[in-house]
Amino acid sequence: MPIPELEKSIVKGLIQKDKVIVDGVELDGTWNAFMIERTQTGYDPTVWDEIANTLEGVTISACWQCGTCTSGCTMREYDPDYSPRRFIDLARKGDKQALIELQNSLWRCVSCQKCTHRCPKGVLVEEVVHSIHHYLLKHGLVKKDPGTIFDEIFLETVIKNGGRISELTLGAAAAKAGMVTLSLKDLINISAAILKGGLIKDVLRPNRVKNWDRVQKVLEEAMKEEVVPE
Amino acid sequence: MTLPTPYGKVAFYPGCALDGLGKSYDISLKLVAQDLGIPLEKIEDYNCCGALEVKNVNTMAGILLPARNLALAREMGADAVVSACPGCHYSLSRTQYYLTKYPKLREKTNMYLEKMGTNNYDLKLMLVHAVEYIYNTVGIEAIKTKVRRPLTGLKVAPYYGCLYVRPKSYTLAGYMKMRDDPERPFFMDEILKALGAEVVPFEAKTMCCGGPHVYSDVEVALHLEARILKEAKRNGAEILVTDCPLGHVAIETNMEKIAKKYGEDLRTPLAYFSQLVAFAFGHSPEETLLTANITNPMSILKRYL
Repeated sequence: MPIPELEKSIVKGLIQKDKVIVDGVELDGTWNAFMIERTQTGYDPTVWDEIANTLEGVTISACWQCGTCTSGCTMREYDPDYSPRRFIDLARKGDKQALIELQNSLWRCVSCQKCTHRCPKGVLVEEVVHSIHHYLLKHGLVKKDPGTIFDEIFLETVIKNGGRISELTLGAAAAKAGMVTLSLKDLINISAAILKGGLIKDVLRPNRVKNWDRVQKVLEEAMKEEVVPE
Repeated sequence: MTLPTPYGKVAFYPGCALDGLGKSYDISLKLVAQDLGIPLEKIEDYNCCGALEVKNVNTMAGILLPARNLALAREMGADAVVSACPGCHYSLSRTQYYLTKYPKLREKTNMYLEKMGTNNYDLKLMLVHAVEYIYNTVGIEAIKTKVRRPLTGLKVAPYYGCLYVRPKSYTLAGYMKMRDDPERPFFMDEILKALGAEVVPFEAKTMCCGGPHVYSDVEVALHLEARILKEAKRNGAEILVTDCPLGHVAIETNMEKIAKKYGEDLRTPLAYFSQLVAFAFGHSPEETLLTANITNPMSILKRYL
C-alpha cells in the first residue's frame, strides 16, 4: 500500500528511502515510504475489570466513545496526544503497550472537570483517566511522573503539618523535588505581599488540627483499606 | 442581627488557602458578611480537604479528609457548608457524591470518623460556594444599597475558575435551584455590576489555570494562565476579579514569568471579588488587604479613593 503524501506526517516511525529497488524494479513516489512493523502481542481484558472495580474507575463501562470529553479537553489544546476518549478505549481493550507509549501525556490531566461535567453518559471522565494512570503506576508499567510526585508531596505535607497545608512548606517541598523555579523578583514580590498583609504568622506556622495525632493514626489505618465501588 | 439564609444554618469552611496566602480573601469576605448581616461562622477545628491531589494518591484519604469536615459542620448544627475556595467546594461535594452513592463506603467512612472522635456524617448538608451564598442570601438590590464608594467605570473581568460549578455530577449545577450556570456563570458578574463596575465580555470565565499542575507542569500552567489574561486584556479589562484562591495565587505568582514569555501587555492586577465588594462598601485598602496583593490592584483602584 502506498502511504498518501498527506498522511505521512501523522504516521509514527515513517521510513522514507531515496532509492528502493524491489526485484529489479525501482520504486519511487508514494511507494518508497514504509511503516515500522508493529505486532500487537495480545490484549489484556483484566485491565478493564480492574479499573471498573475501583471507586474512581467504575464509570468506565458507561462510555460510548462519543468524544465529547476530548473535544473540550483543556490539556488537548496543548498536547495533541492527550485524548481521554482514546485512553478509555485503550484501557477497555487492554492495550497496555499503547497506554505505556502515551505515558508522557497520560499524567497531565489538570482536573478542570470539563469532561466529567459534559459527559452525556455520566462517566466521571477525570476520575477514570486518573484511575487508568493509577493502574499503570500500580503495576509498575510507567515511570513516576511529576504530577504524581507532587500529589504525594501534598499528602505528606498535610500529614506532617497537622492536617493543614501551608503554601510555604508545600512550596519548599516542591522546590526540593526540583519543581518550583521562582525568580528573585518573584520572591521579593511575594515576601513583600506577605509582610504587608501581616500574613507572616499564618503562612509560616498554620494552625494544627487539635487532636491531629489521633486523627493521623486513623487516617493512616484507613489508607490501607482497599476501596471497591459498593 | 443576622439575616436568615435560604440555606438554613450555615457553617463556613475556610480551607487552608484562606488561612495562608489567601488571607486577604478571608478577611475581606468577613467584612462583606458583616456589612450585609449574613452569618459566616467558621468550622473551628477543620482539616485540609485534600484538594485535587490527595484523591490521586489514596482513595480512602481522599474521602475521609473532606468527610471529617462535613461531620464537624453537622456537629455545629449546620444545614449547609459555605466554602470560599472552589477547590474545597469541589472536594466536599465529591465526597458527598461518593458517600451518597455507595452505602458500604459510607459505613466504613463513618467507622473511621468515629475512631477520629467525630460524629457520623448523615449526608444532610448542602454545599455552597461563597459567591452563590451572597447572591442568593442578600440579593443584588441589598448589595446596591450598601455601596458607599461606587466603582463606576471600572472595567473588570470576573474569573470563576474550573470548580466553582463543575462538574454537575458533584455540584448538582443545573439540577438544583440556587446554583449558577455551569458553562456561563453570572452570579459574580451581577454582584460586580451592583458595585457600579463594568463587566467586560469575558469568555475565559471558567477556563483552567493549570490547577494542581502549577508546580509540576509549569509550562502548561503558564500557557493556560496567559490565555486567561489575554482574553481579559483583549476585552479591555483593568482588573481580573477572582473567587478562587488557587487560581488567584497561581496567576499572581506567575505574573512575572507570563509577562516575560507572552508579553508585558498581559500584566493585569488581580483582586478577590470580596475585596472589591468590601472596598465599594467603604472599607479602606488596608482593611480589605488590597494593598497586600502581589499584583497591586491599588494602582488602578486609587482613582476611587
